[in-house]
Amino acid sequence: MHNRFIAILAALVTLSVAIAASAQEKVSIAALRFVSSAPIFIAMEKGYFKDQGLEVEFKFFDAAQPIAVAVAAGDADLGITGLTGGFFNLAGKGAIKIIAAQSREEPGYDFVAYVAGKKAFDAGFTDPGKFPGKTIAITQTGSTFHYMLGMLAEKRGFKLTEVTLKPLQSIANVTAALKGEQVDGALLPANNAYAAEKDGFGKIIGWVHQETPWQLGALFAGSRMIEQRRAVVEKFVAAYVKACADYAEAFLQRDAAGKRVFGDKADALIPIIQKYVEPKPSVDQVKASASYIDPQGRLLVKNIYDQVTWYQAQGMVARDVDAAKFLDLSFVKDHLDLPKR
Amino acid sequence: MAERTAPVPFRGGGFQPRPRRLVPVAVFVAVIGLWQLASARGWLPALFMPSPWQIVGALGDMIDSGTLGKHIGASLSRIALGWVLGTSAGLAIGLAMGIFSAARAAGLPVVSALFPIPKIALLPLFILWFGIGEPSKVATIGFGVFFPTVIAAYTACDSVPRNLIRMGQSFGLPAAAIVWKILVPGAMPGILAGFRITASIALILVVAAEMIGAQYGIGAFILSAGNLMQTDQLLAGVALLSLLGLAVSAVLGAIERAVLRWR
Amino acid sequence: MDLRLEGITHHYDGLLALDGIDLAVRDGETVAIIGPSGCGKSTLLGIVGGLLKPTAGRVVTVGAPRADSLNPFTYVFQDFALLPWRTVAANVALALEHHRLPRAERQARVQAALALTGLADFAAALPRQLSGGMRQRVGIARALVVRPAVLLLDEPLSALDAQTRELLMEDLLAIWARERSTRLYVTHNLDEAARLADRVVVLSRRPGRIREIVAIDVPLAERSGPAIAGVREHLWALIRDEARDAEREVQHG
Ligand SMILES: Nc1ncnc2c1ncn2[C@@H]1O[C@H](COP(=O)(O)OP(=O)(O)OP(=O)(O)O)[C@@H](O)[C@H]1O
Ligand SMILES: [Mg+2]
Repeated sequence: MHNRFIAILAALVTLSVAIAASAQEKVSIAALRFVSSAPIFIAMEKGYFKDQGLEVEFKFFDAAQPIAVAVAAGDADLGITGLTGGFFNLAGKGAIKIIAAQSREEPGYDFVAYVAGKKAFDAGFTDPGKFPGKTIAITQTGSTFHYMLGMLAEKRGFKLTEVTLKPLQSIANVTAALKGEQVDGALLPANNAYAAEKDGFGKIIGWVHQETPWQLGALFAGSRMIEQRRAVVEKFVAAYVKACADYAEAFLQRDAAGKRVFGDKADALIPIIQKYVEPKPSVDQVKASASYIDPQGRLLVKNIYDQVTWYQAQGMVARDVDAAKFLDLSFVKDHLDLPKR
Repeated sequence: MAERTAPVPFRGGGFQPRPRRLVPVAVFVAVIGLWQLASARGWLPALFMPSPWQIVGALGDMIDSGTLGKHIGASLSRIALGWVLGTSAGLAIGLAMGIFSAARAAGLPVVSALFPIPKIALLPLFILWFGIGEPSKVATIGFGVFFPTVIAAYTACDSVPRNLIRMGQSFGLPAAAIVWKILVPGAMPGILAGFRITASIALILVVAAEMIGAQYGIGAFILSAGNLMQTDQLLAGVALLSLLGLAVSAVLGAIERAVLRWR
Repeated sequence: MDLRLEGITHHYDGLLALDGIDLAVRDGETVAIIGPSGCGKSTLLGIVGGLLKPTAGRVVTVGAPRADSLNPFTYVFQDFALLPWRTVAANVALALEHHRLPRAERQARVQAALALTGLADFAAALPRQLSGGMRQRVGIARALVVRPAVLLLDEPLSALDAQTRELLMEDLLAIWARERSTRLYVTHNLDEAARLADRVVVLSRRPGRIREIVAIDVPLAERSGPAIAGVREHLWALIRDEARDAEREVQHG
């Protein structure tokens, strides 16, 4: 008798789990297989999406541009990647909205480095203030690297036109140009910058976070997705922010001297990140690439306005693009540095 | 009794392409008109497809800012130099392979192995070998042009009737005269057909070539427009490339008519 | 200059094409060579002109060729072998271009050859603008311009229709009356052989051997009449059975 009761109970539990599972909302997110996408990997592996009743599908791309295009076209419901001139042009047409933060350049957290070529360094290119007159490799016109140089120019008071920019399309090409001494310097992500220093053809002469902290990446959703399935987006952001907090606890800790420390929590999360990132990074590479991501998913809002203004001044973003129209600040509480209007 | 007469019905005609000059123009105009209409009515979302008028506007901006000439000039000089270098080398090797069995035996496997390699995959290497200045761009186009030219040249040599060569020998022509007076002119139709292909390849490759650190050039312009999601400018660049393609094909057509008048 | 073929034998990778051909050709003589398809006529002509190396045997000349001959052994081809991108005059001039000649003489020779073949008005035409008969006239003019000692004609009229062939035969006879060369004339056509040749060499089917050499004593002027009907008949009788067998043979290679 007692046994039968347990059996029925077990059957009921199984059934209800099955029903719950079938009632899960499907949602897709377009992303790069980069360490900077870590929060969505963590939310997936730790079950935060499932807890929210979401069945999340990852759609991976190998460049930032198609991610925004996929979300604008409705091929993916959400996207997470770096902000570029192309992104703003697309967002300006009204099809996508930024809803939460991804990576940012935050003082104390190495992410993108100013790298001088060996020869240029020996000839005195030892400081980010010495960019004028140099030939610098970037990946693409209107890329985050392009903007970072623009910000540096503003901060150090030189004109971007004093720097000869060489768009080489990929980090591999940038590295090759630096190695072949075709350029005086480049902007490189931490991992590649360390590698350049280790191989002796590059010298890190500074970090972007020391000069110009800024909001580098964001989580965004299709405008129609927000209109039609707002509750799903809210659940997604909830899971995402929870994962951001985990990530911050694991990777963004610093000791009293300000040096970054990675403890047990990092060790626990690293295999999750290694599972998704390609090419598969070593433990040290994960740590080196772990950029600052706001623990609550909050954006540096004013900086996004500034980015649009800068791109417009360069003629790279259309005049009619208005950041206010593609920012939806209602999903995350207490965004940072709100512009005074 | 009167004989019944009936004309034999006509059953011939048709199946004979005749030039109709107005039809292509009409089709062109109709397609562009429809496109503009669809854009204006909102059938084509502006997000994915700019209207012809916007593309014309983007071209107009280029003219106003004075960059149009720079872009075309930069690309044309790369295409011309790369094509001439790739074609000269390709003709030299291809003709050698057409004439000497040893050259063919040595060259064919190399050409077959290297031809299918996408030149874009070699870009990082090209940067190391040729730098990021003009040489790597010219080299990208040159390499792309070289292999098809080799193949066109030696197959064109094969297509020269052997009896013409025997004829040359029977009159005691020296080997050099047989090459220059019989083989090369006889291979000309095949070589010129190859030129049509390599000219298109050069145009296609200018986009790849200008991926490497180019400030000006139609390819660089297209790439940067793509990176910035400026679809109207992107298509303006593409339109420039097709116009360039039409111009090149017209020039080649004129050359063909002049050189191959004997056909 | 006389010509002697001594024991010419030729193999193509194990296939015996010609077997022990001995033939003496006198200076100025016209010798026709007939035989069934594939018996090695073209091969023999190639060997005589030095375009093919015989497996065994040799071709020797007796005496020196005429002094002004630039190319002693000169071919006229069945398919004309004209360069389609050259004009008629330039095609004829091709044979002279690599010889050291004063320009004026070169031009004079080309003009003379064109005049002899009735092409004077077509000097600037391209081959594709000409009829088959005119094209072969260019081929003949090109051969004559080098003043050959031995003319090697491999079925020169086979690609032409019957009427054109008739006209060209008359022209050839007229030309040969004015020009001194020895001629080896390969043909399938018994009429041509009977009309043009002093002697007809009849080859057996492959491997080609000389079956009979028929001398024709009828003067050239009387050859168009019934006088040579007997010769024609005789040649046909010689070749008929072999031609039938050769025709039924399965081709090798
Ligand atoms: N290059 C070659 N390689 C191998 N076999 C050959 C070659 N040329 C000719 N032959 C063969 O040698 C034989 C004689 O050829 P040839 O062309 O001399 O005959 P032919 O008497 O001129 O024939 P036709 O009357 O058809 O012109 C033929 O069986 C032919 O198939
Ligand atoms: Mg033959």
